[in-house]
Amino acid sequence: MAEAHRPGLVLRLHPEAFEPLVALAEWQQQLTAGGSEAPPAEAHFIGRVRGRSASGAALEALELEHYPGMTEAQITRLATAIAEHHGLLALRVDHRVGRVLPGEAIVLVAVAADRRGPAQRGGQELLEALKHDAPFWKREWSNGVGRWVEGNTAY
Amino acid sequence: MIHVRLFAGLREQAGWGERSLAISAESPPDTPAGLWRQLGLGETVPPQVRVAVNQAFAALDQPLQPGDEVAFLPPISGG
Repeated sequence: MAEAHRPGLVLRLHPEAFEPLVALAEWQQQLTAGGSEAPPAEAHFIGRVRGRSASGAALEALELEHYPGMTEAQITRLATAIAEHHGLLALRVDHRVGRVLPGEAIVLVAVAADRRGPAQRGGQELLEALKHDAPFWKREWSNGVGRWVEGNTAY
Repeated sequence: MIHVRLFAGLREQAGWGERSLAISAESPPDTPAGLWRQLGLGETVPPQVRVAVNQAFAALDQPLQPGDEVAFLPPISGG
């Protein structure tokens, strides 16, 4: 598992299935380690692979390619800028790579802030940044045929 | 040398994912747009393709230095 730490950011890319609630619990424990007060506001997003391809066919799997090194560096740059803009206290990003099955978690975005507004806006902005500006490429596999996805699903 | 990388659909269209090229010592210096032509990938880089130099997004006309890693990235679909 690739791992990168920056002040306030925990980033993990998972080549195997991960459990987002376990990741969240671990992050929350880190935030309150040593008796620190829990952040007043958190926003969380969990994305899972849907069972249908963009064309409506039953999906066997989604394959996630990334650019090792740049993907981590780019997520760190995006998260740092968004954290600064919204005054976030902490961020966590988990993202799958490799072959992901329908129903499995593909992404977890969690942010902590002093208020609900920055938490929700910052979390949303980070998720959209991941979708548009972090180097990941999806290939949908249906009936044994793979097709690269160009662009994102409807917002 | 310059190291060139292609990803996802671009890699499969080209039939290769990584290549190293000797960089010219002439001026003007090589650019990602020039490499695209030099590698036979096409006349111009399609507008939906993004370029990274040393693992950060860069302009098509960024002057390249020996040792740079240049990547051509098809449309991103993360999250």
